[in-house]
Amino acid sequence: MSSHSESIIREPLITGKNITYSQITDDVLRPVENMPGKAWWIGFSVASLGAMLWVVAISYTFWFGLGEWGLNKTVGWAWDITGFVWWVGIGHAGTLISAVLLLFRQNWRNSINRSAEAMTIFAVICAATYIAAHMGRPWMAAFCLPLPNQYGSLWVNWNSPLIWDVFAISTYFSVSLVFWYTGLLPDIATIRDRATGLRRRIYSVMSFGWTGSVKTWQRFETVSLILAGISTPLVLSVHTIVSMDFATSLEPGWHTTIFPPYFVAGAIFSGFAMVQTLLLVTRKVLGLENYITMFHIESMNKIILVTGSIVGVAYITEFFIAYYSGGEYEQYTFLNRFIGPYWWAGCMMYGCNVLMTQLMWSKKIRTNIAISWVLSIVVNIGMWFERFVIIVVSLHRDYIPSSWAMFYPTWVDVSVFIGSIGIFFTMFLLFLRVLPAVAMAEVKLILKSSSDQAKRKLIAEGHLDESHVDFYKKSLIKFDSVEQSDYEKV
Amino acid sequence: MDSNKKYWKGLEELNRTPEFVEKNKNEFAEPIPIEDLLSGSGLSAPTPRRDFLKALGFGVGAVTLAACQKVPVHKSIPYLIKPEEVTPGVANYYSSTYEGQAILVKTREGRPIKVEGNPNDVFAKGGLSAQGQASVLDLYDANRTQDPKIDGGDAAWPEVDAFVLRELAAVAASGKAIRIVTSTINSPSTLAVIAEFTAKYPTTKHINYEAISYTGIIQANQNSFGKAVLPHYNFDKADVIVSFGADFLGTWISPEEFTRQYVSNRNSKSLASKKMSRHIQFETGMSMTGTNADNRYPVKPSEEGIALLSLYNAIAGTSLAGSKKVSNKAVDNAITLAATELKAAKGKALVVAGSNDVATQTLVNAINSLLGSYGNTIDLDNPSKQYAGNDQDFAAFVSELAAGAVGAVLFLNANPAYDYFKAKEFTDALKKVRLKISFSDHADETSLLSNVVAPNHHYLESWGDANATEGYYTVVQPTINPVYNTRQAEQSLLIWAESTTKDYYTFVRNTWNTSLLAKGGLSGQKGWEELLQKGMIKTAPVAAGSYTFSHDLNAVAQTIVDHGNSLVSGDNFELQVYQSVGMGDGKRANNPWLQEMPDPVSKVTWDNYAAMSIADIKKLKYEEGDVIKIEANGYTVELPVLAQPGQAQGTISIAVGYGRTSAGLVGNNVGKNAYPFYSYRNGTLQTTASISKFGKTGMISTLAQTQTHHSYEGRSVIREASFTEYKKNPAAGSGKEGEHKDYNKESLWDDHDRPVYDWVMAIDLNACTGCGACIVACSAENNIPVVGKDEVKRRREMHWIRIDRYYSYNDHGNSEEAVTKEDAIAKLDNFDNVSVVHQPMLCQHCDHAPCETVCPVLATVHSSEGLNQMAYNRCVGTRYCANNCPYKVRRFNWFNYWNDSRFDNYLNNEHTQLVLNPDVTTRFRGVMEKCSMCVQRIQAGKLQAKIEKRPLKDGEVKMACQQTCSANAIVFGNKNDPNSEVSKALASERTYYVLEELNVQPGIGYQVKVRNLSETEA
Repeated sequence: MSSHSESIIREPLITGKNITYSQITDDVLRPVENMPGKAWWIGFSVASLGAMLWVVAISYTFWFGLGEWGLNKTVGWAWDITGFVWWVGIGHAGTLISAVLLLFRQNWRNSINRSAEAMTIFAVICAATYIAAHMGRPWMAAFCLPLPNQYGSLWVNWNSPLIWDVFAISTYFSVSLVFWYTGLLPDIATIRDRATGLRRRIYSVMSFGWTGSVKTWQRFETVSLILAGISTPLVLSVHTIVSMDFATSLEPGWHTTIFPPYFVAGAIFSGFAMVQTLLLVTRKVLGLENYITMFHIESMNKIILVTGSIVGVAYITEFFIAYYSGGEYEQYTFLNRFIGPYWWAGCMMYGCNVLMTQLMWSKKIRTNIAISWVLSIVVNIGMWFERFVIIVVSLHRDYIPSSWAMFYPTWVDVSVFIGSIGIFFTMFLLFLRVLPAVAMAEVKLILKSSSDQAKRKLIAEGHLDESHVDFYKKSLIKFDSVEQSDYEKV
Repeated sequence: MDSNKKYWKGLEELNRTPEFVEKNKNEFAEPIPIEDLLSGSGLSAPTPRRDFLKALGFGVGAVTLAACQKVPVHKSIPYLIKPEEVTPGVANYYSSTYEGQAILVKTREGRPIKVEGNPNDVFAKGGLSAQGQASVLDLYDANRTQDPKIDGGDAAWPEVDAFVLRELAAVAASGKAIRIVTSTINSPSTLAVIAEFTAKYPTTKHINYEAISYTGIIQANQNSFGKAVLPHYNFDKADVIVSFGADFLGTWISPEEFTRQYVSNRNSKSLASKKMSRHIQFETGMSMTGTNADNRYPVKPSEEGIALLSLYNAIAGTSLAGSKKVSNKAVDNAITLAATELKAAKGKALVVAGSNDVATQTLVNAINSLLGSYGNTIDLDNPSKQYAGNDQDFAAFVSELAAGAVGAVLFLNANPAYDYFKAKEFTDALKKVRLKISFSDHADETSLLSNVVAPNHHYLESWGDANATEGYYTVVQPTINPVYNTRQAEQSLLIWAESTTKDYYTFVRNTWNTSLLAKGGLSGQKGWEELLQKGMIKTAPVAAGSYTFSHDLNAVAQTIVDHGNSLVSGDNFELQVYQSVGMGDGKRANNPWLQEMPDPVSKVTWDNYAAMSIADIKKLKYEEGDVIKIEANGYTVELPVLAQPGQAQGTISIAVGYGRTSAGLVGNNVGKNAYPFYSYRNGTLQTTASISKFGKTGMISTLAQTQTHHSYEGRSVIREASFTEYKKNPAAGSGKEGEHKDYNKESLWDDHDRPVYDWVMAIDLNACTGCGACIVACSAENNIPVVGKDEVKRRREMHWIRIDRYYSYNDHGNSEEAVTKEDAIAKLDNFDNVSVVHQPMLCQHCDHAPCETVCPVLATVHSSEGLNQMAYNRCVGTRYCANNCPYKVRRFNWFNYWNDSRFDNYLNNEHTQLVLNPDVTTRFRGVMEKCSMCVQRIQAGKLQAKIEKRPLKDGEVKMACQQTCSANAIVFGNKNDPNSEVSKALASERTYYVLEELNVQPGIGYQVKVRNLSETEA
């Protein structure tokens, strides 16, 4: 790939002047090889305080019982499963970026896939903690695995979507982890080669003896492709199965056939929003503007816009079907989202997810970093409310009116959720310090073909169509990492 | 070959320097610090050996000592000598008596664990109230007085006896009066004991005192017919029942009996013969009886008398002095209509009133006399002996106390320091008494003021008898050795009377031998044994005579009008004080099962409240839960507001039985005391008052309700029909009226085999009165934890069976469709025309159970007998099953209710744990539970049949809820047997299944609620 030149009308994936392979390594490994700065320490302190809050809240729950949460006889799931689905959804972007975009040869993924995959793994860990924590008897969690036992035929219930969940989540987690780690190998080897002493030994072990020979690279490419092939169906299956927790039940508001595609779209939607939230900050703080460019930001915003619109269509479909089915319980459930006691949650869901993302049709907004960052957070707030509305607002008023009840979270509910965000950021910030946040090897792969400097060289060679060059120059206006003045001379 | 090579280790050796030579004189070149170590300088080392040994010694010693703490030993010792009648694992049943009602007490390994009505009981024929069901828990109450006391300090019984005898002698010598204050006693033996005591101390007088008084009725019968009795009412003989504030299904005189009678004219059987009684209720607050009425009209307390006068006028065609029309036009029309219906049902009509006012009850007597009720629906010749309290006697007693004329007073099952309306006056006067003896088994308000506390046995530890209605004698026999150091009150009285019979058991035997056994055709030891087995004897009832009222009513009418006027002052609200079904008069306030039983009407637990009409709440801009301050009769309470549909406008209702200050850990400070709102007027206690002042305090106290949404939203969860529609088409309202394609007929799966049994249930919505006895019975049978007020507020009550209560409204009379939807109800102007339906809701044991498919670990599965079962040990607590249950009947153990110190009001002590049913496992936290269809009872029944080598008979196994239901609203049995009761019940055209459209195939069929609505509604 690298030997070919790319069409000039494509926007550059790497900006900056005089970027060399070693420059990339230096830039990317700066946080790994140096002591953390003040910003990192502040972030890490806040995040680990959050993680500590999680430890306190979870210990409190285990000590006294699940009654410390706000659940009741009518609402058996609330912030727990809302949090679970939210995290699993967030964990979707990573695999989509690394696997699906790899198969589709979307080279722009190379700059963001590492962080996105790391984020996926941390998000799935957060989701998994919810699975364990929401159980009444987590110490019996092994009952959910089909282990041989002295009862002979006592097996798990293959009819139960929760069992499908166990397999879906654990498969997804292990495949994502392997994929992520495989991708890390050449970069770890780079760190190893530059490190000394104990660090060198640790990275040496972690690099699995990477030699960088052609054969190694060839196998690396093959494994990546195979893993991408395995992961691709998982992108669709995991949230499909999570959605079946709801879709296969009898509960009005849950019992909906549209859930699998709707949930997958929602998951990608929230996952990209979370990648956006993280990378916009990371890029600034770690000075990675040349590798994560405005093109990346805008591309992700476009995906957010598309998936957000799919989710919007799903919402409308749900309402239509509720009306069209004539099922009075279903109809009440959907009306209840707007006129019931939780109308504000419904408004948050539809407002944040559908209305706010439609702003992305405007290029100005798509390419504005501050607004993009705010919108990416709005999306995840909206997606949290989507799950809250689906779970709590459906449950709290279902079939038998005598059992209708309200759900009020306790401090433990809130702490477990805030704490899980703390855990997530603690892990992410540690990741930034020990592993490269950008896949160096993969970025180097496209330096010769898709970087701004390569394109400028092409322009300088002067064999290009003038209109194409103009087009290219215009497309650079939005880039915050390109000095327009550089092109005035060209 | 020798080598001449010379090896050296260093230049020093090679050169043999003097230092080297000096150093190598010894075996070791470097000195070894062994001397240092051995010579004790080692002790100055940073960690000398001695310190190490010290630390080791201390450490081992400390750990050993710590380990010496005794591990708690749970003794499980087999019988060394097995009592003949006890087989571990097999229950014994003993007949006994609960408040005059014959019961059976189930004991396991010598401890009573459940109380059930005796099927031959004349009152409820096996049914038992919630309070009766809960009474077994009182036996193990850790707050019971465990030792006798003199002046507050523990004493031995001989000391107590010596002290009391000395004091009594002194009182007798002084010539001062001795008074025995008791709640109603109808026990022949106890009365004989009191007679013996009176013979010994001739200044003794026995005073029957009841906080819930029926003096008004007794006095009115004295005035009207010369018979000072509480009549026996026959609701089963009444085709038209008009009640003015009498909660006869919930609290009035003999509610279990009346429920049985009342329902016999309204249940499936009666409907099948196209017969249904008509019941019209005029009342202030919504009572449980009011919720069952066909038509119910809210009437202010001040107008209740006027309404009765109007009714009398309409029936008799007269116009009594002072009578006027009721202010509410609809009520006035209803009275005219009721009069017509009553007249048409002459001889089969019954008018009752809940008032304790003599004049009002005299007027009721006059009306009943006109309707020919005496000898038919009212029986004065076989009177009830359940309530003999006399308000005048007690008022006179308080004056005697105040005058200092009383030398000794004994309280037996009476607690006037709490429930007398002028408690302060009473307690002040009591100070003048030299000897105060309380037999209370709790340190209650009165016993705290007594010099001597001689704690009585619980009735399950006692011998005794009862005669609750004419010709019906029941025996009380102990079922356990006394749990604490208590002594039966009668025994104490015998000792203090220095009776020749020292032993109360012998005394009871003598009473029966001399006079009672013969009435039942029994005699001698054999007769006694038969009595103990059967629990009762009945004599043939006297023929009920017909009585005619023939007094002038004008004076009575004037009194009633005056009474009504006295409640009106300007625009003031009026207050009604009533009994709640669960708490009654408050004597059982320390019973957590009763505190947690939702009120049948309001569904409030653990509290009383100020019930107000919705219109008033809207007008005053109150919110439910706002604490208001209410002042009446010079007494003030602060209580949260409850929005009560059907409450008369301009009135507030408050339940008595709450606000105990010395009931025990459970009952203390639950709610507020409403007794002080009583007043004493014309010789009786009055339960109504004019509110002089009330208003918001600004505080908010959320009520712990088990149901907070009160309308059924027009859903087919509830199906109703009018009696007229029913007569036209018995399937009316059941959803099967027309032809429908049954989409559920085709199944994707093969049905499972139910080879022998298919357990199902039928619940008749027309029989269920909503009383809640089933809830307590289920709690007792299935070890259901009590969770307390805060947890109920969080909607976490654990009851396996609940009674859903829905209100619907008719905006403009009955002609229009009932308004059942929340948003439509909010727009109504008139909340008076409210109708109510009660629906027992429990696990439906669906054949296509949605809970079963979603459980990841197969902890809930279906049995081959059609039961949906829980394997607690397998449950990991994902709660998915509860979410997927359309009926929301699954209950999750949020905490370890039995050993979490934050739930201190229930099982957290070794005494109370003795009430647990050993056949039902207690559940750990994190586990789901729900109705098991009393699977332990099914198994026991099947086992018994197997032992006797016969098939299980229909009706042999009864569910705990079914067993205690006086209305027989619940039928359980085998669907595979076409002749079983339940198969027949389910074959009724009225049968429908809740949410049957979901095709979960529930196992519980409900029968449509039928209302006998008036066709000529005003």
